[in-house]
Amino acid sequence: MRLYEFEGNDLLHREGIPVPDYALAATPGEAREGAEKLGLPVVVKAQVLTGGRWLAGGVQTAQSLEEVEEAARRILGSSIRGWLVQKVMITPKVDSVREFYMAVTIDEYSGTPVAILSAAGGVSVNQIARERPEEVVSRYISVIKGLLPSEARRMCRGVGLEGAEVSRVANMLSALYRVFRNYDALIAEINPLVRTSEGDYMALDAKVEIDDSSLYRHPELNLSLDSRIPNTLERKGREIGVTYVELDGDIAIIASGAGLGMASMDIISRRMRPANFLETGGAITAELMYKVMDLVLQKEGIRAVFINVYGGINPIHEGAEGVVKYMKEHQVTVPVVAKALGNHQEETWEIFQNNGVHVVTDVSTEKGVEQLARLLESDK
Amino acid sequence: MSILLNRETRVLVQGITGRIGRVQTKWMLDYGTNIVAGVTPGKGGEEVEGVPVYDTVAEAVAKQGAEASVFFIPPKAFKEAALQNIDAGISLIVVVTEHIPVHDVMEIRDYASERQVQIIGPTTPGVITVGEAKMGIMPANMFTPGRIGVISRSGTLSYEISINLSTAGLGQSTVVGMGADSVVFTSVPELLRLFEKDPGTDLVVIVGEVGGVQEENAAQFIERWMTKPVVTYIAGHNAPEGKRMGHAGAIIQGEHGTGTPQSKMAALREVGVDVAMYPAEVVELVKGHLAPS
Repeated sequence: MRLYEFEGNDLLHREGIPVPDYALAATPGEAREGAEKLGLPVVVKAQVLTGGRWLAGGVQTAQSLEEVEEAARRILGSSIRGWLVQKVMITPKVDSVREFYMAVTIDEYSGTPVAILSAAGGVSVNQIARERPEEVVSRYISVIKGLLPSEARRMCRGVGLEGAEVSRVANMLSALYRVFRNYDALIAEINPLVRTSEGDYMALDAKVEIDDSSLYRHPELNLSLDSRIPNTLERKGREIGVTYVELDGDIAIIASGAGLGMASMDIISRRMRPANFLETGGAITAELMYKVMDLVLQKEGIRAVFINVYGGINPIHEGAEGVVKYMKEHQVTVPVVAKALGNHQEETWEIFQNNGVHVVTDVSTEKGVEQLARLLESDK
Repeated sequence: MSILLNRETRVLVQGITGRIGRVQTKWMLDYGTNIVAGVTPGKGGEEVEGVPVYDTVAEAVAKQGAEASVFFIPPKAFKEAALQNIDAGISLIVVVTEHIPVHDVMEIRDYASERQVQIIGPTTPGVITVGEAKMGIMPANMFTPGRIGVISRSGTLSYEISINLSTAGLGQSTVVGMGADSVVFTSVPELLRLFEKDPGTDLVVIVGEVGGVQEENAAQFIERWMTKPVVTYIAGHNAPEGKRMGHAGAIIQGEHGTGTPQSKMAALREVGVDVAMYPAEVVELVKGHLAPS
């Protein structure tokens, strides 16, 4: 789960990394109040779960209270990469004399934690890594050993730091590693970390994403899903424990397993257009299938439902009961085509056939999709 | 022959007294798996399907000689169970459990690799050596014995590919669900190495997905080490960028240029792998290798 900047700031602060004071505002008036308390000049920053805020005008400096209101008015309610801005963060403007980039994340090649440090902060680290690789140092970390202080210092010297700066920045890096480990983060990134004109170090932006599977052990974070999934249907999917991704077509897909769901999408896209991706997870029950039928049919203009499931943890006929119960109660008129294999598959086919579902008995999804296409053509 | 598991392997079921553990134990026994013990803390002395249950893994190893373990336990119980299994000398662990915190996976992986324990998963349907034994939840009727090795990130897609191969008369040696999470214990190259050495396997099918870099890693290994032919299908060429498609691993990172289906397919084609665009094409490509005209 991606955190808002202010939430990330709070975590950095808990582990001893200085961050600016801030106020949150949902209206221009609140923004003005916040700026009054903090003192001018301030920076008004859109709180959205995406990068690219600068380019989209979501970060603005204000010298006066009028400018604060004006900036908040422009930013609040605007859309940044598809995210509606509902809150802005007001922070005192910090004068920096030097900027750094630092992150701890999981390296996708090795699946191990990696710490990254650059003495050129503020811009995209990917860009620096491409153009000036000598200014970026990264180091794999053993979760058993952790990030040793000596390693952190070596990284600092590796990007050309000297003197007192070495241990100051190394301490920040160690603290960031603690954020990564203590809160089960997938990424903890500060961009930029600055040295202020007074010689203090401060994190001016935080990007933290927490592993969804570990949220149960972080009640202290008090995170809610509400505003984090902007798409209503995708949020509903999450609430019933499935992954739903809305697409722009009209053929609803229900699949057990992400791979099978994506394969179904690949095949359907050859001649029709998927309305969604939906994967049920392994444990299919009657109740779950009832709910996912309801979910995929909430999208406007669905022409057909394509079900592609295998029994694994549970026998698959239980899921079939849920589908036909939904169809009966809601008088579903669009064709429903189902390919269901695994334990109790014959029983499953019987339940489907007796209730108006078009059963695919062939073992390949391609054949099932052909059957669906023929059905839609003959309906015309 | 096969990899990882055969009919002699002495299997322990961790979490045998749970609802899923019980059902799956029956199905694994029906398939012929040599299940010698179950473990559930506090349930020692019971029996499930005639299998003795112990409180600890150490007891199950001492009394029944258990050597491999399959997990049907909640994610919260994973770390302790894994440590217990590793310390008791279990050499193969199959983790069916979904939603295990990735930091727990990284910790256990480091601990296990120091002790040379092979762990498959998490979020895997398991491992099946066809006609001999299975550790996991895959439905038995998808598979027929033969000489094709299958490695898959997705569980149900491995069923789809296997049943299509089976229907075409192309049997499988061992089918391994390597697990769908972004961090897994055993990578594609490690499994390829096992299949390359296995005299019972003539060809390997890799069933991939968008996201992550497992298939790119596999390409490097194949180029250097594989003599057996490899066929692959990567699901999700129509997946939108930046969207997580169900598996933690399945997210296209557009900006990095890796993890896209195009980058994976290109990397694999370059090292001579046959890449299917759709699942059913896998069967045709496999036939092409096994029956040269």
